[in-house]
Amino acid sequence: MSMVRSEFRKVTTTKVLLWLTIATIAFSALNVVLLVFLTPRAMDIDSDLNLLLDPAYVTNILGAAGSSSIFILILGIIGMTSEYRHMTITSTFLVTPKRPRVLIAKGITYALLGAALGLIAFITSFAVTLIALMTEDHAPVDAIIALQILGGVVLAFAIYAFVGVSVGALIRNQVAAIVGALVWVLIVEALLTVFVDWIGKWLPGGALNAVLQTTNVTGRGGADILPTATGVVVLLGYAVIFGILASLTTLRRDIT
Amino acid sequence: MSPRGEVLTVTSLTKRFGKVSAVLDLSFAVQPGRVTGFLGPNGSGKTTTLRCLLGLVQPTSGTAQVGGHDYRELPHPAAVVGATLEASGFHPGRTARGHLRVITDAAALPQARADEVLELVGLTEAAGRKVGGFSLGMRQRLALAAALVGDPGVLILDEPANGLDPEGIAWLRSFLRARAEEGRTVLVSSHVLSEVQQTVDDVIIISKGRLVQAGSLEELTGAGLTQVRVRTPQLEVLRAALLAEAGSGGVHVEVVSPVELMVSGLEAAEIGHLALRQQVELHELTPVGTDLEALFLELTADGNPGGAA
Repeated sequence: MSMVRSEFRKVTTTKVLLWLTIATIAFSALNVVLLVFLTPRAMDIDSDLNLLLDPAYVTNILGAAGSSSIFILILGIIGMTSEYRHMTITSTFLVTPKRPRVLIAKGITYALLGAALGLIAFITSFAVTLIALMTEDHAPVDAIIALQILGGVVLAFAIYAFVGVSVGALIRNQVAAIVGALVWVLIVEALLTVFVDWIGKWLPGGALNAVLQTTNVTGRGGADILPTATGVVVLLGYAVIFGILASLTTLRRDIT
Repeated sequence: MSPRGEVLTVTSLTKRFGKVSAVLDLSFAVQPGRVTGFLGPNGSGKTTTLRCLLGLVQPTSGTAQVGGHDYRELPHPAAVVGATLEASGFHPGRTARGHLRVITDAAALPQARADEVLELVGLTEAAGRKVGGFSLGMRQRLALAAALVGDPGVLILDEPANGLDPEGIAWLRSFLRARAEEGRTVLVSSHVLSEVQQTVDDVIIISKGRLVQAGSLEELTGAGLTQVRVRTPQLEVLRAALLAEAGSGGVHVEVVSPVELMVSGLEAAEIGHLALRQQVELHELTPVGTDLEALFLELTADGNPGGAA
């Protein structure tokens, strides 16, 4: 427990968490605004098609909370790699020489932070949705679905932050880890999903969408998706497997 | 009551990085209650040895242990060993107090320890400032503060005098002395012997990853030469007298210039007395001390010059 407290102090005594929280809030709000005001209704005044009257579309707008997941992944990655970047890993391992314990403490800490950011992202998208829809005709906002989305985003962000920590432990170079994760999420996984259609749902992004209970509103829509519980297991599996791999390889390396 | 010092033992330690042997079959022990200087030129394997002792580097073979245990097996390492390794191990955006509280938290120590050790190293004023703006000397003090949070019985300090002003070095000296007198183990590395000469009781000298000399400073001084510079217009007369004296052994006379001699093996007073007896006029009689630095360079420069950088 003391180690988790130490990890919390590490992240709260620097600026990274603040910036990524701001990014999460801004991105969630922006996505809602785009989804509400860039609908066919808004683009073509004469159109009798109004997506806002479709309950599924309203659900999609609330689901924009999940769109900031990439910041959560980056938060986890930075949580681990900044220790190597600033060589604070030396004092971390001096206090806790049994290194996998550090990884576990970070996993727990960042999962909690991820959950908190999931809550913040949901509150943002929910509030902005309600405000943006005030002046519009729209399908009702279903409270049950809203709660489902809240649960999904909190759980998904919690696990995703843990994935980030494990990725950071595996790829100790901060820039390489972040660029690698972005390239994977935005390019490799999207391409794989397009060309090998059964594989997408098993990849980290696909599992993330299963936990978020949404097909990604920014793309990859319509791809088939795992049941939520399976998604949780698969996503958690990535975090644990990357963590174990790191414990057997990079985490063991000499600190020089 | 102060925490117990532990014996540090390095046994047949070898560490290879690829094909390069940073440390080769190195063995020595460091005793509590004394300040031990761990000396060698840059690149001689000091830091690697210390990192092996601290569980940061895995030895290729051999062991480096604290009180008979591997560092990684210590249940509460911060309370046993305090170490400073490099001044750069700080997050620049974190304050000095924040840096220390991260450590007190992880080591399950009371938060108040952070401010206590800041006061101990004279950084109280800078407690709330970000480390990014710290001078090298302030970083050294902060690193020392971090080493002290668990009030450990063993202190392992890598080049602690780097970046300290003369006042800071004097302070460090008396601080380490006091710790050793409390019975703690104090190991201080340096690449300059003269820097720690006044501080250490024991010395361990390594070169190219191998042990060159281990023992008390007196033993080393005995191996060295106490030198006295003598200037006289009657150089030959004095030199003859000195060489006559040399019959008793251990006296060495070197002619530096037609009017200057370097004498070793005799005290300045003895030379002065001899000169008076011979009625030799002296213009200078200066003990230049034990030339430990020259001895150190000689000890560590064996074999191919240059060595590992």
